Formats: sequence, C-alpha cells, structure tokens
Amino acid sequence: MSRVIVVTSGKGGVGKTTTSAAFSAGLASKGYKTAVIDFDVGLRNLDLIMGVERRVVYDFVNVINGEATLRQALIKDKRVDNLYILPASQTRDKDALTEEGVENVINDLKDDGFDYIICDSPAGIEKGAFMALYFADEAIIVTNPEVSSVRDSDRILGILQSKSRAAEEGNVVKEHLVITRYSPERVDSGDMISLDDIVEILSVPLLGVIPESGSVLQASNSGIPVIMDKESRAGQAYMDIVGRFLGEKIEHRFLDVEKQGFFKKLFG
Amino acid sequence: MTLTQSVLELKGEMLMLNVLRLYDINIENIESALQLKRDEAPMFFIQSPIVIDCSNLGEQGKLLDLRALRRILVKMDFVPVGLRGIADGMRAAALAAGWNILRTPARPPSKDKKVLAKEKKSSIAKSDIESEKVADNPVEPVTIQKSNMTIERPIRSGQQVYAENADLIVLSQTSAGSEIMADGSIHVYGPLRGRVLAGVKGDTTARIFCRSLEAELIVIAGCYQLLDESDTNLQGKPAMIYLDQDKLIIEPLI
Repeated sequence: MSRVIVVTSGKGGVGKTTTSAAFSAGLASKGYKTAVIDFDVGLRNLDLIMGVERRVVYDFVNVINGEATLRQALIKDKRVDNLYILPASQTRDKDALTEEGVENVINDLKDDGFDYIICDSPAGIEKGAFMALYFADEAIIVTNPEVSSVRDSDRILGILQSKSRAAEEGNVVKEHLVITRYSPERVDSGDMISLDDIVEILSVPLLGVIPESGSVLQASNSGIPVIMDKESRAGQAYMDIVGRFLGEKIEHRFLDVEKQGFFKKLFG
Repeated sequence: MTLTQSVLELKGEMLMLNVLRLYDINIENIESALQLKRDEAPMFFIQSPIVIDCSNLGEQGKLLDLRALRRILVKMDFVPVGLRGIADGMRAAALAAGWNILRTPARPPSKDKKVLAKEKKSSIAKSDIESEKVADNPVEPVTIQKSNMTIERPIRSGQQVYAENADLIVLSQTSAGSEIMADGSIHVYGPLRGRVLAGVKGDTTARIFCRSLEAELIVIAGCYQLLDESDTNLQGKPAMIYLDQDKLIIEPLI
C-alpha cells in the first residue's frame, strides 16, 4: 500500500525541503521505493538540495500537462537506490497545478509500486501548499522553536484536517511533528520556545527534533541530503526520525545542552 | 471545493457584529452613553461593524436624527452597517441619510415562506412593500432547540466552529486564533486558547466551562471580555464563566 506524506509548515524557511530530502532519502535507504515531489512550482529548490539540478529535463508541470510521461520526468538518485525525484518547474507558477493533474500523477506513482510518495509543500496556505496536502494520508509538520512558526503550523494543521480529501471523506490525516533548528542553549537562555511547550501548543505526536547544525547548510549547498552525512548530529537525528516513522523505538536525543570539551570547542 | 480559476467566491461567514439597540432618540444621550461603552474597550471597537436596531423606538423613531447618529458612529471609529427594525415612516429618511436597511432576522423560514419568497420574486414591484411588512412584524423570541455538537479533534488557528441551536463540547484544545461559537453553552476539555462565544443568539443563561482558561476573548450573549483585561486570577486554571446582569463572572471550576 502506498502512503502519501506531505511535508508542510505554513511558514517559509523552516526546513521543509531539507526535511523532505532527508526523509525520502532515509526511507529509500531502508529499502522502500520512494518518490519525492516538489510542489514549489516557480521556486524549485528540492532538486538543488538533492543535487540533481543539472539532470532536470522534464518536470512536474510537464507531466500534469501531458507534455512528458512520468517516467521521463522522474530523476533516479545516483547515490540511493529506490529514490526518485520529481522536480518542480522553474518557469511556471502554482496555477499550473490542477487537482486532476496532481491526482493522476500520484495515482500513477502508486501504480508504479512506490511505497512512499513525499510531497514537499511550498510555504504559505495558497494553492501550491493546498495541492501538496490535499491527497495526503499522513503529514509531517515542520516547525522552528519560535512563536510565528508554531502558530503557522497550527493554522496549516487546521487546513489539513478540514480541507484535505481525507478530511472531506470524514477521515483524519495522521500528524507527525518535526522540530528543526533546535538549539538547547537558546531554549535555556529563553530565546526559543522549548520542546515541551511546542508539543503542548500543537498537541501533535513528536516524531523528532533536528538540532541546529552547520552541516545542514553545508549539505544543501553541496546537494547532498543531510541524512547521508552520518557524522553530523542533524543527519543522525533525521535517521532517527525515519526509524521512528517506520515503527522503531528510538530515544529522542540532542535535546539538552551538550557539555563541550576542549577539542569540541576547538574543532566544533 | 473549487479548484478551477474563478472570478469570485461567495460564501456565508460568521462575523462579529455589534448590535446597538436604541431606547432613546435623544442624540446627545445616545452619544454619551455610547462613548462610555466604547471607552471600556477602545481597541476592540476600532473599525468594528455595527447594526442599529430601532425596533424598540416604535413610531417615535421617526424623530431620530439619522444623519447625526451616523456621524457620531463614524467619529467613534465604528463602521455603520445598517438599520433594522425601523418604523414605517423612517425608510425614506434613512436612505436619504445614507443608511442601509437590513432585514429583521426572523425565525428560520418554513416551507410556506419559501414558496412565498418565490412568488415575491415574480413581482418585483410588490416585493419592496412586502419585505417592509416582514420587517415590521415584531420579532418573536427565538426558541432554541438544544442538542449538542461534540468535536474530538483540536480546533486550530483560523478555524471556526459554530454549534447552531446547540451546546458545543470540545474534547481537545482550541488554539490561539481559533473561534468557537454556540447558541448554548460551551465546554472545552483541553486548553481553551482562542475566542469563545456562547449564547450567540442571546441566551443569557449560556455558560462557558473549561479545564484551562487561556482564551483571548470571552463572549456570552454579546457581553464580552478580553481575558488579558480581566482581573481574574484563573488564567490557565479550570473555570466557569456565566452572565450575571450583563457582567461576565469568572469562577473557579471545582
């Protein structure tokens, strides 16, 4: 049974695309056939972060418009088996996404035997975000530990549970919370909202916490999903998230202020 | 759901609307009384829509200076929406003074009325006179047939829930930026964080019950209170709110 999972947040710049890239690469590395679709038509980023920018020939909108087949547009990842990327168009806008077109693409992916279809949502609550969540069975809500991000996530959760197809049919979209850019030091100093408070406010089950880490930026700049960086804390945290999503019992980590040793201070 | 490109969207929406019920036609008296009310929560009233209900004025409503009334409302930052319940002879004066005239809410239309409405459409010339007559009918108190509406999932920011003719029971939380409304009472078993309006159709016996009072705005039968402006020490605690002679009372819930 294929599952459609939307990665969404409401607010921009919180790490949706980073999470989509890492999560899909993680699922694929565990042996699941995974497709990740970039819904951010006009501002495509996913292909950059996945390092396939220069391999894009056809895109999502081409497939919707029947100008290319799904097979032509899907880009197979060279590092991870089972991972396929459907890039967004850079030259179109979100109106190119039609309900029927998106549904056809998702159904074709299901027929092709994909286990997971990850929909990388654009920011906002406009058409692109709406199309990304409309067909979802499950949702990963990405939030930063700050008030506006948490509030926007709350808003998108409301839309998810009232406007998605599952909601229209009287079902519930399964929710998962991922908190990114978490810095225990700044929580301690009161600059950031604590983990407990975020979970309290949103009342969504916590899937995982990604610590603030320079390796995330490094990885996206070099086009490698951060989850492939086994050394980095962010990469390990994403791997934990994939494990938990698949039902493994994994303790949450990187939640407390780390005691820094001399070498750590020197070499970070 | 419509996803096709369209020119516009027309939909019903619940809107917080203040109704100013007049008992006096003396414009000075109205102004000073309204000023007092407004000064209790000036921020709340800025650019808030207001409807003037003249049904208690009867025939003497004709003597009311409608231009002056509009002026003072605008001066106090209200947005005058229209008049309702006006007497027979007021109509021309009201239109001349730039007022809209609203229907007086009647009971939900029965089947017969729908048929009537269809007939009205056929004779446009007649319809004006007839709708005026409807407006003049004294409003009978609405009988609220109570049942209840139960919501199991959280009510999120931007969501609005209205339990019409019913009590509302929320088993989870309501978020900041949400709005829950009921014609009857409201019970919230998670934290109550958004706006909460009980007794929307004027039931002054409606109450609000919650396990953790963190609401932004509390309203019962049109009497409102911003929680941050209230002197209650029950923020974040279990509380019951009820109306005692136009005053909202917040009591601990044991």
